[in-house]
Amino acid sequence: MITRRDLLKSAGVGAIAIGAVSQPVFAAAERVVKMEALMPPPKGNRVVVCGGGWAGLTVAKYLKKENPNIEVILVEQRPVFFSCPISNPWLADLVGLDFLQHDYLQPAAKYGYTFMNDRVIAIERDKRRVYTTRGYIQYDYLVLAPGIRYNYSAWFGDNRELARLTKVNFPPAYIPGSEHLALKRKIHEFEEGDFIIVVPPGAYRCPPAPYERACMVAEVFKRNKVKGRVIVLDPKEDIAPKGPGFRAAFEQVYLGIIEYVPRASVKEIDPVNKVIKTTAGDFKFTDANISPPHQAGELVWMADLIAKDKEGKLTGWADQDPLTFQAKADPRVFLVGDVISPALGTAYPKSGHQANAQGKIVAKVIASRIAGKEAPLALPDNTCYSMVNGSPQEAIVINVSYEYNKQENKIVPRPRTINERSEALAKATYEWARAIYRDMFV
Amino acid sequence: MDRRDFIKTCGTVAVASMIDASFFSQALAQQKDGMFQAYKKALLVKQDGTPLKEEDIKPHASYIFFYPHASTPCYLLNLGEAVQPAEIKLKDGKSYQWGGGVGSKKSIVAYSAICAHQWSYPTPQYSFINYYPPDTPSETTKKAGIIQCCAHLALYDPKAGGSVIDGPADFPLASIVLQEEGGNFYAVGVLGRDQFQQFFDNYRTELRQQYGSTAKARELVDKCIVMEVDKYVQAVVRC
Repeated sequence: MITRRDLLKSAGVGAIAIGAVSQPVFAAAERVVKMEALMPPPKGNRVVVCGGGWAGLTVAKYLKKENPNIEVILVEQRPVFFSCPISNPWLADLVGLDFLQHDYLQPAAKYGYTFMNDRVIAIERDKRRVYTTRGYIQYDYLVLAPGIRYNYSAWFGDNRELARLTKVNFPPAYIPGSEHLALKRKIHEFEEGDFIIVVPPGAYRCPPAPYERACMVAEVFKRNKVKGRVIVLDPKEDIAPKGPGFRAAFEQVYLGIIEYVPRASVKEIDPVNKVIKTTAGDFKFTDANISPPHQAGELVWMADLIAKDKEGKLTGWADQDPLTFQAKADPRVFLVGDVISPALGTAYPKSGHQANAQGKIVAKVIASRIAGKEAPLALPDNTCYSMVNGSPQEAIVINVSYEYNKQENKIVPRPRTINERSEALAKATYEWARAIYRDMFV
Repeated sequence: MDRRDFIKTCGTVAVASMIDASFFSQALAQQKDGMFQAYKKALLVKQDGTPLKEEDIKPHASYIFFYPHASTPCYLLNLGEAVQPAEIKLKDGKSYQWGGGVGSKKSIVAYSAICAHQWSYPTPQYSFINYYPPDTPSETTKKAGIIQCCAHLALYDPKAGGSVIDGPADFPLASIVLQEEGGNFYAVGVLGRDQFQQFFDNYRTELRQQYGSTAKARELVDKCIVMEVDKYVQAVVRC
């Protein structure tokens, strides 16, 4: 956990790192130490939600729906919501930016929660405080829904320059904003050669995304008559999920454009000479979309709520109760969305749909707790459409429902997939998104 | 509800109850729980304006009409066999009595076509929420004889008051209370948790475009034109 002492200490380290004990840095730390409360003390029913993505927005709205008297504060650093789901079709101009972007003010006004456009800089769980750039907020319950962060150090160790060059030149575009805009520009300006997509190793946000993205990049190349290939470097044995559906699209719709390379774990990346060395060989590239391993977002690290494996090593994902999403180490904190660890043998996919479904469960659990009750058991579900053809627009889908086996204390997934691409499913893809946007914003 | 509303509702229910004596007491009891809302008694008619008869409602075909508002869509289904009344239980512990099918075989039912999950509904362009007859199972869920929404695979049982079978919906589909009188069919109210407020909130822009104004979209009807879904919807999207 980061304490005020740590803040002072890290400010000192920062000062040393830039070559002098600089007064302004200390002054900044002093300011944090002396920060004042941004609002009056809570009355037992204040929930601070950190992160205004698919999970956080849902928690905020549904807490107010469960009980309008609950005081809900949503802290989000971005001024505008930018959807990661459906951003792949947007790369190929199948939808406009207005489809992806939404304002935070409408739901805050309608449902009566406070939207605070600010950045969380520290969390003190012992004092139940969240520090933003402007002061601290006292909470009764805290929800951390920050999404993911990139773990470039898994590849580059302490070489931050290599990490910086890789990220700025070949952005992962898994965290919406500039990276997505940059990737779109690159794709549309691409003239010739090999465009590489690196699938992140381990658990990562939106498992089908790299394959859908390959289809959409190939769609742009096909449309622009570009002499180029899209090479997908995948550390996995095979395409998953929806493997047969993606493979069919690669071989039928984008034959000769998309090349899929399995068992290609990254060994080395040279962002200057544009070479990726993998366990499946070395690849020179013209341009690339390179995604390093993902981890739980910064706030979960800040709150010291990352799970450890049997050897005591940090796993990189949040340590939450599998059924309530409560932090195992702190009954006042809930961890929701892409940050979570696998639950009772099941790795819930890190998807927008899941985050929305989990958000509703967490809202019920917290509202029940505030009312002095226990919420009935509920499990999230997942539906994930992927666009695999741009002309005509065609999609495939996977749906997973989950059951809790009390006897074995296991969560059992029941997946259902349609790998036959169709225009009907493409239409349903957009309705899937529109419906969840409605749920979060209207 | 104030006394005036209550008296008005009683009047509506009383009119309806002339057909079915048990309906009056049942409806009023459920109204106290907020589970039944009486609206204008509306005659179901064909596109030519003549009253809809039982023989016009083909088994397992999907029909659409708009009730209680001019813009709120409903599905009318003949399930081909008697559909028994049922107690519909909600997740919040509340429940209500659903009357089952109407018609000579008690096989005709009607539901709001607004998905209780995230409010997908049939528009002139698309319908993502549809009835899947017994011989046309869903490709994704392999289930038939259901109402399924392709947006997020919410599944409802038309034989059991629109109860949730599977998927993310928290509530059953609201059911439209039908009465048969002298061979004609009437819609008289809505049973269950309707989604009308969310519907009007969500689709303000679309409804203005389609109906000219929000007020027109919200108008209560006393006559419902019934037509086959694929005559109203350009693309019936199944999954």
